[in-house]
Amino acid sequence: MATESARPRVAALALAVGIVLADSSIVVLALPEIYRELDTSVAGVTWVLISFNLVMALAAVPAAHLARRVGPGRAAAVGLAVFAGAGLACGVADNLSTLILARCVQALGGAVAVTAALELLPATVGSEREATRVWASAGATGAALGPAVGGLLTELVSWQSIFLIQVPIALAAAVPILAVAKHEMATRVIETELRPAGRPHVAANIALAMVSAAIAAALFLLVLLLIEGWRLSPIGAAIVVSVMPLAAFAGSRLGPLVPSAKARAAAGAILVSGGLAGLALLPKAEVALTVPPQILIGIGLSLVLSALTETALSGRAPQAIHGGWTISARHAGVVLGLLALTPIFTADIAQQRDDAIDAGTAVLLDSKVTPLLKLELAGRISNQLDGEKGKVPTIGPAFKPLPDDPEERAQVETLRDELQDQLDRGATHAFSPSFGLAALIGLLALIPIGLSRRVDL
Amino acid sequence: MSANANFRSQLLVGGAILASIVLVGAYLAAGGSSYAPDKTRDPCVHRAWTNPGSLQEIAQQFSLSALDGAACELGVSREALAQALPTEEGRERFREQYDIGTEEFAKAIRAGLLRAIEDAEDANALSPLIAAPLRATIEDIPLDQAIELIDDASSAFETFQGFLGPAGDLLEELFG
Repeated sequence: MATESARPRVAALALAVGIVLADSSIVVLALPEIYRELDTSVAGVTWVLISFNLVMALAAVPAAHLARRVGPGRAAAVGLAVFAGAGLACGVADNLSTLILARCVQALGGAVAVTAALELLPATVGSEREATRVWASAGATGAALGPAVGGLLTELVSWQSIFLIQVPIALAAAVPILAVAKHEMATRVIETELRPAGRPHVAANIALAMVSAAIAAALFLLVLLLIEGWRLSPIGAAIVVSVMPLAAFAGSRLGPLVPSAKARAAAGAILVSGGLAGLALLPKAEVALTVPPQILIGIGLSLVLSALTETALSGRAPQAIHGGWTISARHAGVVLGLLALTPIFTADIAQQRDDAIDAGTAVLLDSKVTPLLKLELAGRISNQLDGEKGKVPTIGPAFKPLPDDPEERAQVETLRDELQDQLDRGATHAFSPSFGLAALIGLLALIPIGLSRRVDL
Repeated sequence: MSANANFRSQLLVGGAILASIVLVGAYLAAGGSSYAPDKTRDPCVHRAWTNPGSLQEIAQQFSLSALDGAACELGVSREALAQALPTEEGRERFREQYDIGTEEFAKAIRAGLLRAIEDAEDANALSPLIAAPLRATIEDIPLDQAIELIDDASSAFETFQGFLGPAGDLLEELFG
């Protein structure tokens, strides 16, 4: 346990890990806003998300080596300063290239800060086991909270505020670490042993990558379903997806009750997959129906991420290097998940939109409204669809004004509801294969989990 | 690992499996596997006319039968054809998409109208006395007018009825 005097530093290190790992998903809810404001393509805007995760995946292990070479205190402080500076650049970026470049620099600083934090934690909290627990929990909490916080800031302030708010937080987290950095510089002694690192825990890191791919899909696809499919505002979507971090918090209380990391990892992977399968099988386009799957995913992610991180780090030295491997595996999983599932989802949504329009046309043709009104509505609906330019449309405005005659009004309202139902069905069903595939990836993670060495903590 | 710890591990994994099965089972039972847009029906399968009462209802069912017939002839869905018919650009885009020539398209539209007449006769909504000359007219009318007849059979029938003047009542009777 950390002493009273070490607590601020533990909190700062946990905050640093949480804020950096939250950044892998924090922009998810802001992507539509960034897409509109920077006048870019859908494929282009997803690189705001992918670039950060890709650089984190590539830079984590080298960053850990760097942190050990220059000293973890100095590395963490400089890493956080770079992260804050790049966050400022993201916040003032007025074009996509600058934003993506700044995101890459942000990830570089973040990778150094996160791996250095793991090197600093054991001395701060008193044991490697406790250090791993704090580090893994902070990372899981950050990853789960990211989308909800990002959505709230986008709606209440702007997408730029997501990055700008990180500047003072990162700098504040760096302050308690400066004392260690100063000590390292004054004594010119780097307290960590520079012995060669052993092999990474392959099975745990592969499982971590697979589970991260599934979780990234859960967050990314759910947010898209809520905003683009069901037409919720970013703040509405943020409130809905906040179920996941709340469940993750509840799940983190379960962890200490079960010593076997393998059991926690397996249970977590099953829950994540079960939740994703639930999202693949939504029986109606209703926000409330996303809550039970989110609860399963939230509890599952808190169990599986921390258990696999503990397994990957258990008995391995140096911790920063092996921590770097886990960061690398997690972010590589996120990138692979996004790259593999986005094209499937994009093709499905185009197909389902066409199917929904065909089904809607059938409803219109077979409806009881008079032929002339049918023709007029068909024209208005067609204009509405053209105006939405390939997005899943909302059909309501095409039916305004409603006819004055009560009987005709009732017929038109029925028609409107039936048409909207077909579009909702299409929008929801478009996500099913991607959620289903993500569930399968999560379930397949049970293979490397089963192969991983048993670790009891 | 102690027996108690072992039991808690099994309980956690068992609970996770159970929770997942319950969720998936509940969503499947609520229709989660079939929550998708309705499938469009085969236009080659005849749809029964449902008690056509007024001229307007006859015109509606006539349009739908004609659409079905033309779509069946072209091997596309009724809905895809209905979306394309109203505008010249829509028809051109449709013909390009399905690689259909102008003549083939016109032939299919006429085939659709002929099927509508046949369906109307089968439903006793159209007298054979009217059906025969209508068939002959359809063979000769320009494509634009044939499309108009599908798009808005009601207006066409009403115009026809107005043009006939007093004979319009007879037409109503014949259709009825």
